[in-house]
Amino acid sequence: MNWHGWKWTLARLLRLGRADQDLDEEIRAHLAIDMQQRIDVGESPEAARLDAVKEFGNVALVKEVTRQMWTFPSLERLWQDARYAVRSLSRSPGFTVVSLAALALGIGATTAMFTVLYSVILRPLPFPEADRLVTLWEKPPRGARFNVVSLVNFKAWKERARSFEAMAAYNEGTTNLVGAGEPVQITAANVTADFFRVLRVQPVLGRGFATGEDGPSALPFVVLSHGFWMRHFGGQADVIGRRVSIGGTRREIIGVMPPDFAFPGRRVEVFVPVRVEYSGRDFRVVARLRPGVSAAGAEAEMISIAAGTAAENPGMNSGWSVTLTPLHEHTVGAIRPLVRVLFAAVLFVLLIACANVANLLLMRAAEREHEMSLRLALGAGRWHLAHQLTVESLILTVAGGLGGVVVAMWGLRALLATLPADFPLPRVDEISADATVLWFAILLCVSIGLLFGTVPVFFSAWRGLSESLRGGARSAAPRQRRFRQAMVVTEVAVALVLVIGAGLMIRGLLRLHQVELGFQPERVLAIRMVMLPGKPTSQAQAVDDVLRRVRSLSQVAAASSISILPMSGINSGTWYYRADRPEPELANRPSGDISIVMPDYFRTMGIPMLMGRDFGDQDRYGGTHTGVLNRTAAKALFGAESPIGKRLTVSWNEAGVVEIVGMVEDIRHRNPQSRPEPCLFLLNTQLPFPLVSLVIRTSSDPRSLVSAIKREIQEVDADQGVAEVQTMEERIANAGAQPRVQAWGFTAFSLIALALACIGIYGVISHTVSQRTREMGVRVALGADRLNIFGQILRESLTVAGAGIAVGVLASLALTRYLETLLFDIKPTDAGVYTGVVILMLIVAASASYFPSQRAAKVDPVIALRNE
Amino acid sequence: MASRSNYQNRIELLQGTLDMLILRTLQWGPQHGHGIGQAIRASSGEVLQVETGSLYPALHRLERQGWLASEWGLSENKQRAKYYRLTAAGKKQLSAEQSKWDLLVKAITGVMRPAN
Repeated sequence: MNWHGWKWTLARLLRLGRADQDLDEEIRAHLAIDMQQRIDVGESPEAARLDAVKEFGNVALVKEVTRQMWTFPSLERLWQDARYAVRSLSRSPGFTVVSLAALALGIGATTAMFTVLYSVILRPLPFPEADRLVTLWEKPPRGARFNVVSLVNFKAWKERARSFEAMAAYNEGTTNLVGAGEPVQITAANVTADFFRVLRVQPVLGRGFATGEDGPSALPFVVLSHGFWMRHFGGQADVIGRRVSIGGTRREIIGVMPPDFAFPGRRVEVFVPVRVEYSGRDFRVVARLRPGVSAAGAEAEMISIAAGTAAENPGMNSGWSVTLTPLHEHTVGAIRPLVRVLFAAVLFVLLIACANVANLLLMRAAEREHEMSLRLALGAGRWHLAHQLTVESLILTVAGGLGGVVVAMWGLRALLATLPADFPLPRVDEISADATVLWFAILLCVSIGLLFGTVPVFFSAWRGLSESLRGGARSAAPRQRRFRQAMVVTEVAVALVLVIGAGLMIRGLLRLHQVELGFQPERVLAIRMVMLPGKPTSQAQAVDDVLRRVRSLSQVAAASSISILPMSGINSGTWYYRADRPEPELANRPSGDISIVMPDYFRTMGIPMLMGRDFGDQDRYGGTHTGVLNRTAAKALFGAESPIGKRLTVSWNEAGVVEIVGMVEDIRHRNPQSRPEPCLFLLNTQLPFPLVSLVIRTSSDPRSLVSAIKREIQEVDADQGVAEVQTMEERIANAGAQPRVQAWGFTAFSLIALALACIGIYGVISHTVSQRTREMGVRVALGADRLNIFGQILRESLTVAGAGIAVGVLASLALTRYLETLLFDIKPTDAGVYTGVVILMLIVAASASYFPSQRAAKVDPVIALRNE
Repeated sequence: MASRSNYQNRIELLQGTLDMLILRTLQWGPQHGHGIGQAIRASSGEVLQVETGSLYPALHRLERQGWLASEWGLSENKQRAKYYRLTAAGKKQLSAEQSKWDLLVKAITGVMRPAN
């Protein structure tokens, strides 16, 4: 049928009632015209009517044959086959339910994981022409490729670069918000005026920043995030022009961003223009390439510009260059290996599910050999039988797949809903199914269905009637049996790979939990805040006052503060060197962390003091600057010598020369995965720093003290809010989110795989046993030992499983190296995990074949032989 | 009855010829089913009588192929009837059938009455 035919037929079908009426009328017209002509030549009306009808013939028959022109010939057949398939599937509910479940698991899990892969990795970022967005970084002389950018250099880039349509710098900071009840601290993005223009996102209300509305002379404007607007202004449209006090400045609201705008992060509540100009490297840069300019071309231009700025200002820029990365890559690059590995894992699950269903279909085809041969003998074409089997498997896959997809989507949504808003994986809030996901699911179902349809067709060379009906030929064709065994070997092997992957990840996760962090996180409360603007000394005094008050609370065992809390993923860094040695070259300056603490930090956190003393009241503002080194830093700077009493030159604000008074044990500061970095602790009283997070060790549930502590803070300054309150244990849990997600994901997939492989082994062994009932019966009748038969069947199934295990181990050795970057502190060839999983697999295989083997041994020879 | 006497002279139409005849008949303008049957009978000298059980399926099949189009109109006697007309594709099809037919006639004639 050509295209016109399809359209015409479809149109008829869509207005079937109307088409019938049309045909009736057409025939009535024919009769009327004929009758009129007969009357015109002189027949009586009555005779004319009768003759017209007689000549026309059987009206019902004419209608019937005409109507046949309206149907799709193949559609009719499809409908017939579908009805037959549903009937035949419902006659074997066991087979149908198991196949549907396997397909639902496989296709559902695959679609859910594809949704994640597609939403997080493949889909463009939610900005117009997002592929032209890039991030720019300064590239330090040594080490990291991505360093945050100095505003001074940013200005030079912006003036000189020709590759970009627009370029904006931004950073995030905690800032105090007053006037909304209890003072709170929120995350603000400091942005240059072009920020929204680079991203091409318009506010839903009001306007963004106009060109020139940044810098020291900028007016105190603010653009609100949608969430902030809803929470603090109830979504009122008249907020434009109103004022809020943010970070000690009264700011005029000029715009509100749309609800799905979440750049640079969902936690950002307000956008304020950058009003400072300083040379410190502190900003991120996002830019939009001009149309037709490649990322490589833009990077080449930027490198030459950086060479220029290095020559003009060698003190700041000597040895520094620029790195350019697409924004998409920057956003998802780190998460890509994990998502890919999980997607690969789920494809393995799908493979097992497919092998399972292929096996089940094949066994079913073997059982239906009689039926098929009979139908062939009765004149059904081979092609028709193949068509029908394909329709049957299509119905299975589409029904199972649809069920699986619905459940998986529902499950995925439920799972995502349980994640905290600040879950540390990118684009989690963008995960959603759309038309692409739907097409993926449909394509998956249909292609699997078509594939399955051909498997039994390929293997069932339906024999002639006589041969089949002779019936003695009960044993399956060897080709079929080999195929089924190959399927089971595949299932076991693939399941083994997944279980080994899961084993490695769980082992890594356990190691991560056991890792020596170096401090005691129990019952420690961490309160993140930034001091209100003011003189540094009065800020330091305020911290001291707060701590004195907190320490006097009844259930507080110890309290102190630190600039950047452990488990933040970052720390401040700078460089320092021995004061008794010459200054190292720019290119090989040793870098190290800096933490600004108050006295008693080490005791509060439970970090052992190895040498010397903690900071104390004797270390006063204006006195000799004192410092404490961790073990790694002390070893790097002084080797085996004692660092106590030694002096360092430190490049950090007013620090200058610092005298070391103590040495403490290392801790894992950034996250549990990273090894301790060298760190120098300085005293907040001597070198005040506005970022101050309180750490408070309590003698009871730390959460119960939160409101009392907040009260004490406001007693010191009524406007001082706090940004975030967490227990140290919660911080550790959040920092380990990715290893946890990957371990759970892998474990879930491998359990599904294991269950499916179990079903596969059970099914094949059961089938073998039922096919060989007669043989068993004869053997028992001839006096064979039942235990012997039991052992033989079990041995046969374990041989197949053993082959699967062997293949699986080899495959794991080859494949698990792709997991290496995701594993913590464990080799991808860890012998313990492999041994454990192989034993587990043997137990699973043995139990899956136990029941069929037992059934074989219990065969009653009388019944078995009567069966024939 | 008039048709009775013609019955003996009736010949079975060759497979596929009916379509060609319908297309040819409609070359003179739109016509309804009854008119088409009558025209074929008349122009074949009452030899070819098209059964309604063949005519109507053929008309619908040709319409589905896109060679005919149909619309409701009024006959000379003010009877509402469905008129079929040739489409552009139908005209092309007709000329193709025509040349095929000519070839066939020539060939068969050659076989049946060999020129000496």
